[in-house]
Amino acid sequence: MTQTQPAAAAREANAIDPERPGGVPSKRRRRVGAERVNWPGTIILFLCALTVLVPLYVTIAMSFKTTGQAVDGNAFALPAPFSVDGFVQAWQLTDFPVAFTVSTLITVVTVAGTVILAAAASFAITRNWDRRLFRWSFFYLLAAMFLPFPVVALPQIQLTGLAGLDNPAGVALLHIMFQLSFSILLFTAFLRSIPDELEESARIDGATTWQTFWQLIFPLLAPMSATVGIFAFLASWNDFMMPSLIISDPAMQTLPVVQDMFQTQFSNNYNVSFASYLMAMAPAIIVYLFTQRWVMEGVTQGAVKG
Amino acid sequence: MAHRALRTLAAGIVLALAGGVLAGCSSGGPAEVRFHLSKPEAIPYFRDLIREYNDSQDDVEVVFDTSSNLQAGFLRGNPPDLGLLNYNMEMARFMERGALSDLGDMPEAERIRPDVQELVDQYATYPGRTSVLPYSVMAASVIYNVDIFEQHGLEVPTTWEELLAVCDTLQAAGVTPFYGTFKEPWSIGQGWFDYSVGGMVDVAAFVEEINELGTEIGPDSEVSFQQTLKEPAERMMQLAEYANPDAPSRGYGDGNLAFANGEAAMYLQGPWALGEIAKTDDQLKLGTFPLPMTDNPDDLKVRVNIDLAAWIPESSQQKEGAREFLSYIMQQEVMDEYNAEFLGFGTTTDAAPATDERILAMQPYYDDGRFYQGVTKAVPLTIPIDNLLQGLITGGSVDSTLSRLDQEWARLALRQ
Repeated sequence: MTQTQPAAAAREANAIDPERPGGVPSKRRRRVGAERVNWPGTIILFLCALTVLVPLYVTIAMSFKTTGQAVDGNAFALPAPFSVDGFVQAWQLTDFPVAFTVSTLITVVTVAGTVILAAAASFAITRNWDRRLFRWSFFYLLAAMFLPFPVVALPQIQLTGLAGLDNPAGVALLHIMFQLSFSILLFTAFLRSIPDELEESARIDGATTWQTFWQLIFPLLAPMSATVGIFAFLASWNDFMMPSLIISDPAMQTLPVVQDMFQTQFSNNYNVSFASYLMAMAPAIIVYLFTQRWVMEGVTQGAVKG
Repeated sequence: MAHRALRTLAAGIVLALAGGVLAGCSSGGPAEVRFHLSKPEAIPYFRDLIREYNDSQDDVEVVFDTSSNLQAGFLRGNPPDLGLLNYNMEMARFMERGALSDLGDMPEAERIRPDVQELVDQYATYPGRTSVLPYSVMAASVIYNVDIFEQHGLEVPTTWEELLAVCDTLQAAGVTPFYGTFKEPWSIGQGWFDYSVGGMVDVAAFVEEINELGTEIGPDSEVSFQQTLKEPAERMMQLAEYANPDAPSRGYGDGNLAFANGEAAMYLQGPWALGEIAKTDDQLKLGTFPLPMTDNPDDLKVRVNIDLAAWIPESSQQKEGAREFLSYIMQQEVMDEYNAEFLGFGTTTDAAPATDERILAMQPYYDDGRFYQGVTKAVPLTIPIDNLLQGLITGGSVDSTLSRLDQEWARLALRQ
């Protein structure tokens, strides 16, 4: 075993830099960094941050305004008087708890289904790469990346209708399907970097293929699973078109679709709509806050090993 | 340990999927009627109405639907059982293809004013059927600031000359006559162009003729955009000179705010803007008058559109239940109450007149049938007429814009 395990190597690399200033090259780099601030870079990043923070500020400020103040043309003004009426109205108009639950269920099923199915499929494909069936099935799955939903929307609507899947379950199923190709691409790239020897040693200890996958490979895939999971989460939580077309029961509609009613040609209810958007955005932001470390790790690892 | 957790999760997913499939198959109890409404402002109103109705009887359970996608529903074969929405060319396609059932035998159909029912037929018809019942009509004309008019001793103009005189007086006094929101293409089509055309041309006849002409439309045909609509378009350009100088950068929201703050005397918008203006100033005294485009006061007309129209799809499984609920919401008191609240006009012969003084002036025109549907609404969405008009009003040429419309019309007719 001359090769180091990738995850462990990554951990080591992380450990050297910030935690342990003992390494000579690392120390020198630190001092240089501390003495000189990269002003152009800081300014550019500050401006980039503004493009996110300004709309976010407007969203939050708007949602606490009264209807009269919301249309007065001063988007940046602080709410005066402070009103939670927007939240109350949004909550009632969208039937928020129901829509939120449906959205959450679809998202949870999508994330879990995507991670498990894509990991299992990638494992099978990479370990059987020499067989034509697996190789071709990989290309087949990959080809789906070039098939956007709008192209197949009409047949999908009819098919789900016929199969009794014109409900959130059908949407979750389709979300998993559309997420699969990209996820498999990420997983296979990552799996190729895991040495076969590791698996062979497990087999010598008497593990079956199933056990090898669940107890050895799947835990090793964790950083990539986080990335795949976050992509699946965002795609599923934010999707508008698919649920709006597939779900036929209005009571089981997802949050982005029920929120569509705030956007009309003739009326502006900024305070209500922004309150509603804020409530819908919250989970995505919270999830990202807690998982961004893994997202970053996963993205860079996928990039290096791919 | 992780093993077991994952297995539980997998089982959970399978159960969730199966549960979703089975949920769609439950039956029994009262007939479930899905009621689709597209007007967000009216959601609370109809929500209360549905609750009242569901409590009053046990045969029909109305389910409120404000979000489902109509095209998908029709495609899948399970559209809403009752639709109540804005009637336009897109909706007319469903009726043209026979997707909507006949409501002609309902007693409610008898009560609809024939000239209002005709508005539906102007889009499309299906032989032998009354597929769509108009529920409420919106009448639109010039909105004016009553106080500004009184301050300058102005009367509501009834002829083109008077209109120009009013504009000149206002301008001389330093008041912006019209507030334009040219950033928003639809506001040009809806207000400026439709009012101008409707005040001079018989829109229904014009639309019928250009539909018949199809590919034949052009500079030499009997009617055409470039011939028939040339004069109204030129007069529209003349009026646009009286608009605020920053009109090209103003949107609908800006217009409502500025008009509510008294920055202009007249505003070419429909009654939907009245509610928006009231958000800023609900004490403002506003009135409406049809835009005079000729020298004959008898030519005055208001622009109407079918705000809400009811239909029941042919493929609905609950036609009976849907009809019962439709009869309920088409009781005269219910309709009158709706119109009073949302500034609509009644579609039935026995409808109560409007009471809101902002739209009161349009009642006589509406009662006499002196109205037209906007000409821009007769043009399929494939032809971006609002955008072309935006190009015109922000400095384009009348002739080239209108002949472009003729060409687009002929091209579309060729493709169909």
